Formats: sequence, structure tokens, C-alpha cells
Amino acid sequence: MTEIDFIKKNKQEPDRKNPLDGPAVEPDQAWFEQPASEPPFARHVHTTPLHLVASTESRTNDWTVWNGYTVANTYTHIVTEYDALRVNAGLSDISPLVKIRISGKEVVAYLDHLLTAPVGRMKTHDTKRVFVCAGTGHLVTEGVLFRLAETEFRLVARSKHLDWFLDAGIGFEVIIDDVSGTLAGLSLCGPRAPLILADAGLNMAADLRRGKACWEEPARMPTYVSRTGLLGESQFELWVDPEDAPLLWNLLLTAGRRHALKPVGEAARNMVRLEQGVLLEGYDYASAFASCEALSPATPYDLGQGTHVALDRPTFNGQAALRKLVASGSGRVPSAFTLMGEEGDRPGAVYANGHHVGRVTSHTWSPSLQMHVAIGLMDIQGLGTSGVYTLDVMTGNGQAQKRVAQFVKRPFLHNSAAFPAD
Amino acid sequence: MIDEALQYDAIIVGAGHNGLVAAAYLAKAGQKVVVLDSSSYIGGAARTAEISPDYLVSTAAHLISAFPRKIEKDLKLAKHGLIWAVRDMATVALDLQGRHITLTSQGKQDTRVMSTHEPRDGDTWSEFDRQISKYARLLGRVLDEALPDIGNDVSAYEAPLAALRLERMGSADLRAFLRVVPSSMAALLDRHFEGNVLKGALALDAVIGHHAGPFSPGTAFNFIYKKALATRGQGLSYPVGGTGAFAEALGEAAETMGARIRVDSHVEQILIEEGKAVGVRLADGTQFRAPTILSSVAPRATCLNMVGARHFETDTVRHLSRIRAKGATAKINLALEGLPTFENFTDKEYGARLLIASDVKTVERSFIAAKRNELPLDPVLEMLIPSYHDPRLAPMGHHVLSIIVPNVPYEVAGGWDARRDELVKKVIDTIEQYAPDLTSKIISGEVLTPPEIESKFGLVGGHWHQADMSFDQLLAFRPVPGMANYASSVEGLYFCGAGCHPGGGLSGLPGKLAAETVLAQRKSR
Repeated sequence: MTEIDFIKKNKQEPDRKNPLDGPAVEPDQAWFEQPASEPPFARHVHTTPLHLVASTESRTNDWTVWNGYTVANTYTHIVTEYDALRVNAGLSDISPLVKIRISGKEVVAYLDHLLTAPVGRMKTHDTKRVFVCAGTGHLVTEGVLFRLAETEFRLVARSKHLDWFLDAGIGFEVIIDDVSGTLAGLSLCGPRAPLILADAGLNMAADLRRGKACWEEPARMPTYVSRTGLLGESQFELWVDPEDAPLLWNLLLTAGRRHALKPVGEAARNMVRLEQGVLLEGYDYASAFASCEALSPATPYDLGQGTHVALDRPTFNGQAALRKLVASGSGRVPSAFTLMGEEGDRPGAVYANGHHVGRVTSHTWSPSLQMHVAIGLMDIQGLGTSGVYTLDVMTGNGQAQKRVAQFVKRPFLHNSAAFPAD
Repeated sequence: MIDEALQYDAIIVGAGHNGLVAAAYLAKAGQKVVVLDSSSYIGGAARTAEISPDYLVSTAAHLISAFPRKIEKDLKLAKHGLIWAVRDMATVALDLQGRHITLTSQGKQDTRVMSTHEPRDGDTWSEFDRQISKYARLLGRVLDEALPDIGNDVSAYEAPLAALRLERMGSADLRAFLRVVPSSMAALLDRHFEGNVLKGALALDAVIGHHAGPFSPGTAFNFIYKKALATRGQGLSYPVGGTGAFAEALGEAAETMGARIRVDSHVEQILIEEGKAVGVRLADGTQFRAPTILSSVAPRATCLNMVGARHFETDTVRHLSRIRAKGATAKINLALEGLPTFENFTDKEYGARLLIASDVKTVERSFIAAKRNELPLDPVLEMLIPSYHDPRLAPMGHHVLSIIVPNVPYEVAGGWDARRDELVKKVIDTIEQYAPDLTSKIISGEVLTPPEIESKFGLVGGHWHQADMSFDQLLAFRPVPGMANYASSVEGLYFCGAGCHPGGGLSGLPGKLAAETVLAQRKSR
């Protein structure tokens, strides 16, 4: 008798006769499974459906985290990628954006209640930049709204606030789903982007006007293409099934080879975003629900988006607070500065005629302008219309300096000559 | 559909006592007012009805403790038939050994009673009573004025604290008070007393009507708040004809002043046009129009069911839908052929409010049972024999017994249909420990479980006070932060029921303060 047989023979069956034990339940093996082991200090982040194809393009192994997902920060070199966006075209993974599907009989009424401007005039395949406010008038998040059908919309938001979207739906006949996991996103941006789309067989998409969207079916992959995005006129966004996403990525890269299309990471995209003068949630202001400090959230007016607020209509979130704000005339304005300096300089506090008016929240060295560009939210009253603007700057070698900066109009640089300010 | 005759200055939804008070005050100020109620009688939970033919009892609320003399005078209620059968009723804490404790509002007498029971309690009683009365007086001042609205963005804690005017207290008292506010009633009692019966009775007083036990934090504050509300009134009082007669007097006063009261008018929808409340639509389609609507229905039901969530911002909807209003009280009314014989009772004690709670732990255990959706093993009770003071409630020599059973769950395991009789049996068994001949005297009876209270009186969740009266739902937080000043965020829509400051109990104060707020805003415009 082997040892194992001995154990088997003498193994005691648990006594099932006690009526208090109830019927015997077969234990599910899943209960005893150990969780997959992670190396210590591993970052618990998700990968996007494009992660594998993106990593084959990565020469730097330089990654960053966006909304909890790992995305490439750079693929080759930031300046190469920046040039691609400015001169030819760049392809990026934007799957970490939050996608909410909203449908139902009262979907328009619901969105009118949720957003700062009414959506009833949107036609099918129209898109619209939208702002979601909390009761304080501060932004919960912002995003782009797509009208997919008469009673179906998709909101692509910067950050995840499903709880808020659901609570805003109390009393409305709507269905609200987070479909982020079922939809991958690709961004194709640059002057040659329409040519690449046409070469890839997406002829209708290539002719899209800014703010419009359409369905395409390259290689039988249903793809929703929209001419949207914060990088300007020449940006297209492609929304596709996660399984098809790597194939679409490769299809576009192949079609774009003769147009010098390059994969572009977050770092270069952020530079272009800054040159556009676009203030971004998570960089220049925090969501109303994520901020701990009074000045970190922003109202739509603070962002210079007053045109996206329609106050005189039935109740919507933030209406009372925004009305008060408009009456008081206080608030902040998005301001842009250029200053001379070296590449490693970091600007901070901003002074107008010697008075502190705010601080720089995003800055970058602009390869096109050959100077520093900096943006931030400045106090409306302190800023004035003219004056001497000084910035506290920390230089690359650790010296604190005060430097005079030029107040400029946004955007610093259009991504396309035809593109108006955000 | 819109009839000129149905055009008013103000519409009041719900003819509960607060709705009637608000109507009377508005009518007195010359407004054209109509009160609409879905049931076929007025008074809401202040109602007198028959248990069986010839036996009348206050169906739900049976005592009035916080009704101010000022309202009584303003509305000339004595002229309209309000007669108090008893004022300043004593409370008797029943003891199994027959050494009952009578509590009156006379401190000295109470001290003497206490000393005979537990020598040390006599000494500490006067100190306890002095302290609680002091806090109650202090808090009482803010209960008959409208509180500032703290809004959404102001630091949420400043306003309610400012409202308490803490600076008027000495530093020693302030220190003691701040220690009491978050305490449990059990901890407060343990700091002062030893006698189980006394502690049990006071603990019961602190938690009755709440979904809480004496060991729950904040119940000491509940006790102080209850005492504070009582400082506005005229002692524990009982009107001739029960609380229904009280409501009748209010209704008559309101009608004399020109208000119209319309029963059997179920308000289905509050009409909103261009962000303003403009009228109401009844279930039968009739529309009433007025620039001002006051709702004495619970704020949550008013906003989310009658107006609709779409007319409120999501922050407000969130606050409203999270109001705690879990009913935790049942009512049993019995028709008796003669007084039950309580052991060691003097004649006077039959006329008092009777509390059965043998000790603090019994009260807590009944709460624990309620938390688990179970019936208490050993129920704690508040009882009243109203026919002792008001013989017309029952035939000669016969009586009615009105019993409030706290800590009864809204949903009970196994369902109320299966367990209603069990609750009654438990309650009667408990009383029989003190009055062994009770069963032999019962002629008939009725029982109202929390779901029945909900359906009968339109109180969502079956909560007597429309929303739990704990610190986080009182003062500037009642009904929700940002709407504490009786006005809702919809222009022209006001709250005037127990769901707003200063809360439940037959005080009439929410109705009066809401009416005053409406009139003040009229004037300023």
C-alpha cells in the first residue's frame, strides 16, 4: 500500500448526518484558487485592446498611465512624434477614454438635464463638445457627445463618473451603460490624415467635416469615424470593436506608410494640445469630485466655454450656481503666456503688475515656436487687460527666477490654418 | 380645464395638522387658500376614529407635547372647540415589583420619588434635570424660527452650529454639552443613574419614534431635542375628543379665516411651468392654480413623485432620495370593558402616560430585533388610557387603551400578515405582567403596523416624522442641505410638513414657520 492509498483509505468523510449542517454542498474549486501572483511593486493598471500592437511599435519602453490604463508615453522620440503630428500624421491609442451609452425614450430630456447646453438640435451622426456640471457649477467632467440614432447617444468623457450619470437619470426613462470596455479608440491626427483614411479605403470618413461622424467598414470591421478631438481640425477619431482594434491599427499603419504615418505617444500629443491652448481635465483643473482644494476645479466659464452654457431653460445641473456666478462677475479666465528660456525651465506663479493672479498649470517647450508656452487659469479681476506679466520660473539647474512673459491669445499655434480656437 | 374659481393665492397639499396651521396663518393674512387632502377626513395622523362602535381613540398620534400657546391664541382654537382634557400629564415608569416611578414636571417632587427608589438617583436627578432643561431651553430657541439656508458651497457645519448659539453657554456647560451631543443615551444615563426602571424609561423616551437603540450614538441628542421641542409646548397634553378633535379645531379655525378645505382630492402632480410651481393636478384631472404651493407631504415624495426629479439638480435628488425615513413604530388600540388593574396603582396613575421598559438593555434588544427584521421578544411600550380623562370616548365605565410600540420593523421576516397577531400577543403579554386582568377586559382592538401607517396616512416608509429626527437630519439639514428654509429650489414650491424644521410631533411649528416664510417673501417682492 502506497502512502497515498493509505491516506485515501483512512480519510474521514465529514459527518453529514447532523441536520443542522443542511444538505451537503460541493465546494466550488474557485473558492480555493489563489489569486494570480503579481511581482511586488507591480503597477495595477489595465492594458488597452491596442496594447500588444502598440508595444511592438515601442522603441523606448516608455509608458504612462491614463485613466488606469497603460498607454505609450513615447514610441521613438518626442520630437519625431511631434513632427509627425505637425507635418505628416500620427496614430495614437485613445481607448482609455470613458464611453457611456445613453439611450431610451427620454434621452434628450435627460441629457438636457445633465449637460450645460441642450442637445435637441443635434442630428444623427452629429457630435458636440459637452460639459457636465455638479451642483456647485464646477465641472464633473467634459467630453464629446455623439448622436448615434434618434434615441441613442454616446458620451465620451475624460473621467469616470457613472454614479453621477446614473443619479442624474432618476426620474427619466433612460438606460445608461458604461461601454468603455466594449469600444476601442484610435486617434489619427495630422495634415495627411485624410489622405491616409482615403488610402485605407475610408473615403467617406476622409471627407468628413469637423464635428461630423459616419460609419465605415474597412476590411469588414464596423468602424465609427468622427472628426473630433482636442488636437484640432486635422484630428480623426475611430471607434471600433476591441477585437478589431489591432487589425485597424495595422491597416492604418500600412496605408499610412507612404505618408510617413508614425505611432504617437501621450507626450507629443500633450505638446500639441498645449500649443492649441486647450485646458484639460486632470492637467489644468480637477473634476469637482476629485479636487481637495478650492481652486482646482473649474466652471465652464473659467475655461472660456461660456458659449457652451445655456442658462435660460428648464433645470439642469449647476444652473443655480452658474446663474449666481454670472451675476457676480467673478471667476477665472484661461490665459496663455510665452516666455524665453531653456528646455528644462518650469514656470509657476503668475503676477500681473506685481499682483499674484494665478499659476501655470501646463507648460511645454514648443519646438515650432522655439520658446516656452504656458497656460493656466488666472483671476479675472487681477489679470486686467494689459500690464506687465511676470512668472516665477525654476530653471533646469535649480535656480528660482522671475521672468517677464508675453500674454498671448490662444491657441499659440493652429494645427491647421482653418481651425478656429476650441 | 382651468376654472377661474380654482385660482388661489396658495395651495396646501395635505390637510395634516401642519397643513391646517399653515392654511390658517395664510388665510389670516388675507390670502386665498385651498387645502387638498387625498383622504376623506382632515388631520392626517392626528385622527380620532372608532376601534369598534362607541369606542373612540386617537388612531395614531395620541399626545400633544410641543404645540405652542402662541398658535393656539393666534388661531383662537378654544373658540373653535379645542378643550384640553389634561395638561402637564405625568409619566409613570412601570416597575415589575410595583415600585412605579412617577415623573412630573415638578423637579422637587421627582427628586423625592427618585430618592425613595434608589437613594443616589435622587441626588443626581436634580443635577441631570437641570442640565437637560438648560440644553433644551437653549436649543428650544431655534425651534420656533426659520433657520438660515446653508446652501451648497458654504462649509456645511457652520450654520447649524451657529444656529445653536453655543456662545450663550458658559464654557463648562458648553464642554458638557459637546460631550453629550454625540453620546448614546445609555452612556448619558450610566453617567448619572443606577435605577434600572428609571434608566429604561428615559432610554425609551430617547428612542421612541426613531430607528435607533439607546446604545446608538446620537440618541442623547435625540432626547435633548425632544425636550427642547417640549419647551415650545405646554407640557404633555391631551385634548377632549383625542387628537382628531385637535385637528378638527384647526380645520375650523382655518375655514373661519377663509381657507377652503377639500378632502377626497388626491394631488397627483404639482405643475411646473418655466421652472416655477404654478398649480396642482388632482387624480381626477381637476387643476388648481396658485403661484405658491405648500406641501405638507414628506419632502422626498413631494419632490420626486409629485414634482418629478427632472425639476431638481442631481445633488438635491441625491440628498432627497437618501433621506432616512424607516418607520419603526406600530400602534395598537384596545377597547376595554373597565380599567385593567395595574398592581400598586393609585387612581391618579391611571391618568398618566405609562412607560414599560424594565431596563436599558430591554430597549436596546428590541431595537436589535427590529434591525434584523424581527419582532422584539420583550416589547417596550408607551401607553395611555385617554378615556380616563375623556369619558365620552367609551361607554360608561368602559375604557380605551392606546399603545405605541417602538422598534417594530417596517418589514418583518415572514411578512406582516403572518405575524401581526404575534405582535399583538407579545404586547398584551408584556402588559399583563403589570396588569394581569387585561385580557379578560378586551372587547376589541386594532393594530397598525408600519406598512399600514404608510398606506393609511400617506407617510412614506411608515415614519411618523416623515424623516428620522437624528442630528444629521435636523436643524439646517432638514429636510436636506440647501432647502432648510422651507423654500424648495423650485420657485413657488414650499414645504410645510414634519419633514422640515423643527420636525415631527404635533407641534404645528413647521406649518407656522413655512406660512411666515411665504408671507415674508411675498412682502419683500
